[in-house]
Amino acid sequence: MNIIVCVKHVPDTAEAEVVIDNSGKDIKKENLVFDINEWDNYALEEALLLKEKHGGMVTVLTVGSEAANETLRKCLAKGADEAFRLDDEAFKRSDGYVIAKILYSAIKNMKYDLILTGVQASDDGYAQVGVTLAEMLGIQHASMVKKVEVKNGFVRVHRELEGGLEEVVEVKLPAVLTIQTGINEPRYVSIAGIRRAARKEIKVLGLAELGLKKEEVGEAGSPTRLERLFVPEATKKTEILTGDPSTVATKLSEILKEKGVLG
Amino acid sequence: MEVLQRLNLLGCIQCGVCTGSCPISLKSGFNVRKLVRETLLYKNLPEHEEDVIWGCTTCSTCEVRCPREIKPFELVVDIRSMLVEEGVVPPTIRDALESVYKHGNPWGRVRGKRSEWAEGLNVKQASEGEKISLLYFVGCTPAYDNRIQNVARALIKIFEKTGTDFRTLGNNENCCGSEVYGIGEKGLFELLVEENLNLFNRYDIKLMVTTSPHCYNIFKNKYNGLKFEVQHYTQYIAKMIEKGKLKFSKKREETVTYHDPCFLGKKNGIYEEPRLVIENIPGVKFVEMERSKSQSLCCEGGGGRMWFDFSGERLSEVRVKEAVQTGASILLTSCPFCLLNLEDAVKTTGMEETIKIMDIAEFIAEVF
Repeated sequence: MNIIVCVKHVPDTAEAEVVIDNSGKDIKKENLVFDINEWDNYALEEALLLKEKHGGMVTVLTVGSEAANETLRKCLAKGADEAFRLDDEAFKRSDGYVIAKILYSAIKNMKYDLILTGVQASDDGYAQVGVTLAEMLGIQHASMVKKVEVKNGFVRVHRELEGGLEEVVEVKLPAVLTIQTGINEPRYVSIAGIRRAARKEIKVLGLAELGLKKEEVGEAGSPTRLERLFVPEATKKTEILTGDPSTVATKLSEILKEKGVLG
Repeated sequence: MEVLQRLNLLGCIQCGVCTGSCPISLKSGFNVRKLVRETLLYKNLPEHEEDVIWGCTTCSTCEVRCPREIKPFELVVDIRSMLVEEGVVPPTIRDALESVYKHGNPWGRVRGKRSEWAEGLNVKQASEGEKISLLYFVGCTPAYDNRIQNVARALIKIFEKTGTDFRTLGNNENCCGSEVYGIGEKGLFELLVEENLNLFNRYDIKLMVTTSPHCYNIFKNKYNGLKFEVQHYTQYIAKMIEKGKLKFSKKREETVTYHDPCFLGKKNGIYEEPRLVIENIPGVKFVEMERSKSQSLCCEGGGGRMWFDFSGERLSEVRVKEAVQTGASILLTSCPFCLLNLEDAVKTTGMEETIKIMDIAEFIAEVF
């Protein structure tokens, strides 16, 4: 079972203060710590678990600059067999559709049974790349996947729906699955392991190697264009409840009911 | 096999004192004597039950009691190292390790907020090349944990009271690696040692004082190449009292007892200084618990256990009950992990009305 995993090197912004840069279209990244996109980490783990069970190869791909090598090395250290970085000056400011196209250009000539991506990336949150890629490759897909079982020629997957529901679908192989967090427990990779993986090759493919034209990628090739980034104005209402604990609890539950938080 | 020599395991006489005195063996199948025996027999790191190996707090009770001067817990660290290399690490410990690598602290917090605890205080950050008579190494937990920040602030008060000229490393301060070592992530530990030595070398430091016995222990015993002395804050305060630089103006009529942190006591033999400090506070009646000093019961905060819950009765609850038996109204300690665990135990045992947990630094800062 050969599996391709598409990953993204993203800034950790959970607690960090996010500042918009001068272009108004991006954030300042100098002081941010980068790591593999959380969803992609689960996708990689699922690929490694499937490889351990069924054999085959795991190939990781990313669209990104040299800094993304750090994420690829982490993937190699965890057990991925091959890593490709798709990088070209012309790829900058590509939207989700073009990212899928770049990945497609690399993947279309590869041998695979399954392609895993994260459901979405934590930075732009578009959640488009996986399904768009499936469409371009002309293969099936399932999104928001919480469980994967490999059968003969197909996979049986659980999809996470709203309201705690799960849907079970059978998807013919080859297929793209976009992986939801919580599907597994990603393994730890030691610093010694990452250092050992630094010796493994990361293949870099650009515009020419991928057979793409400049006008097909970047801002020019993107059907959507980022207009502006901004921090929404904080509007908050603060109310300090006073009294003994039971009075405060009563007041609080009334407010929560009023706001529709409690039934 | 290298580990046999390094840990002197060949000297083991299998007396079983280690397992017999191990606080974790009291409540689980953890058996460090057996691990040593298996290593000797098979010349290989032994198989083990998955969870149990993460139970050891590396408290050093086994080390203190071993008649052959072996450190059995170090074998546990080695077995963990093997698991770390295999990636088989409990998820909560994994997250702590990844956080240390990314953010320089195990609490998942960003570096940019490391010195927020000192806002509004007169705390100066060391500048490049500066001659520093005392570097205050705050530590991750006092820097980020809301409860323990109070200990750091109390220490600042004490430094001011004693006229101590001190600096901190501000947001440049990095995890000391104590728990990373205990978890067995030796590669990450070596990386931290390298980073920290480089950082310290940017200044001309004379003395470093730490909040936590864990930072103190690791700097003192596992860092090669530190060019300055390291002290735990209780040592520093004891010296200030002896020199007459710290005087108490208020009286505090209170019966207190003291819980010896393992990383200060068992690992470093520092039993007297904390007691000297406590006994010098006017009005204080100091009582010992039945088990004290090298017999102190581990709170289960060491060896990565702050990020891994383990089955059985919590030893911190046992400890709080022991403290209550002394009749003390305050249980003092001098370690962030002990403080957090003991305070939790006071709540879970419903002893909030009976006994209060405080750090020695906090207690002192109230009696100036």
